[in-house]
Amino acid sequence: MRLRLAVSLLLASAAGFAHHSFVAEFDETKPVKVTGVVTKVEWQNPHVWFYVDVKDDNGKVTNWGFGGGAPGQLMRRGITKQVIQPGMTIKVEGFRSRDGSNNASGGKVTFPDGRMVFTASAEDKLPESKK
Amino acid sequence: MRLLWVLLIPLALLGQKPDFSGIYEWPKALPGAEHGKGSATIFDRRNFAPFKPGGEAFLEPRTGDPRHDEPRDFCLPAGMVAGMLSANAVRLVQNGQFLAIAHEFQAMTRLIPLDGRKHREGLEPMFNGDPVGHWEGDTLVIETTNFKRWMLDDYFYTNPKEYRMHSDALRAVERIHRKDASTLSYRMTIDDPKIFTEPWSQDFEMKARPDWESMGIFEYVCEENNRCPGGKCGGQ
Repeated sequence: MRLRLAVSLLLASAAGFAHHSFVAEFDETKPVKVTGVVTKVEWQNPHVWFYVDVKDDNGKVTNWGFGGGAPGQLMRRGITKQVIQPGMTIKVEGFRSRDGSNNASGGKVTFPDGRMVFTASAEDKLPESKK
Repeated sequence: MRLLWVLLIPLALLGQKPDFSGIYEWPKALPGAEHGKGSATIFDRRNFAPFKPGGEAFLEPRTGDPRHDEPRDFCLPAGMVAGMLSANAVRLVQNGQFLAIAHEFQAMTRLIPLDGRKHREGLEPMFNGDPVGHWEGDTLVIETTNFKRWMLDDYFYTNPKEYRMHSDALRAVERIHRKDASTLSYRMTIDDPKIFTEPWSQDFEMKARPDWESMGIFEYVCEENNRCPGGKCGGQ
């Protein structure tokens, strides 16, 4: 219920500004979609960051970092730090960092049971798919 | 509606001004304003007033140096005007002498004198500029001047070859009026008479959120965990 509320609140929010331009950091032509296990959550300003171990077809594990909204922005949508915790398996969709590293914007997080939550800043580009 | 009259009639009888104190959502664009990237179309070049002859110098090319092109990357303040429109809570505290605007975004704090004083002189340009307020009826008019030079840039990178600057004549004018018991009308006007033939404006609304009182305003220290200075996301 809390997650459903969070999503509806986010969809109702208007665009605004973050501490920097989304476009300056992330390449909106390079979408990223991974599934993995959360290893770390940094619930700090200016953006929440969370890290995910992603295993490829050969068994090689790569740790990805995803940036989201500011903690205050997320908490006002009902998204608390308890929503994403180490050990959880999640799917993350976003856009890759311009520096080519394994970092990306973390626009949308989906849990194995289908629950979905946006973690982006209000003005960030979100993945196109609705699920 | 009845509540609105209960609020306004005593103020009119006493000749007092509205008290905007409370916790609010950030200024949100009115429905229908959304297009392009983001709703703050006041920064959309399509909405700019025409240039004066020579005003094109306002469009300075990006240099590739992030300290020039995107100083916010390094957690330098977005400042006025953009910071005021950031999607964070805003606390207003007002007395007869000042309106204090405590914006959650980057802990942006603005103290607006309401006692008739003039702009200060001889100051270096500032991120949030130098504001003074006065009343026009029940509308509070805040005029802010003396900005640092990149306060009106192209936040959404609508043209990657352009980086927008303003002159030292930039004025930002906010007009705040109580629309109803839970809504403030908020108009932002941009005026740079060295560059543009006329000012231009966008209307917003700020919704009171008494349900946010228990949360209050959160701390926002941008330098705490900035992972992407200069467009290079450093990760863990």
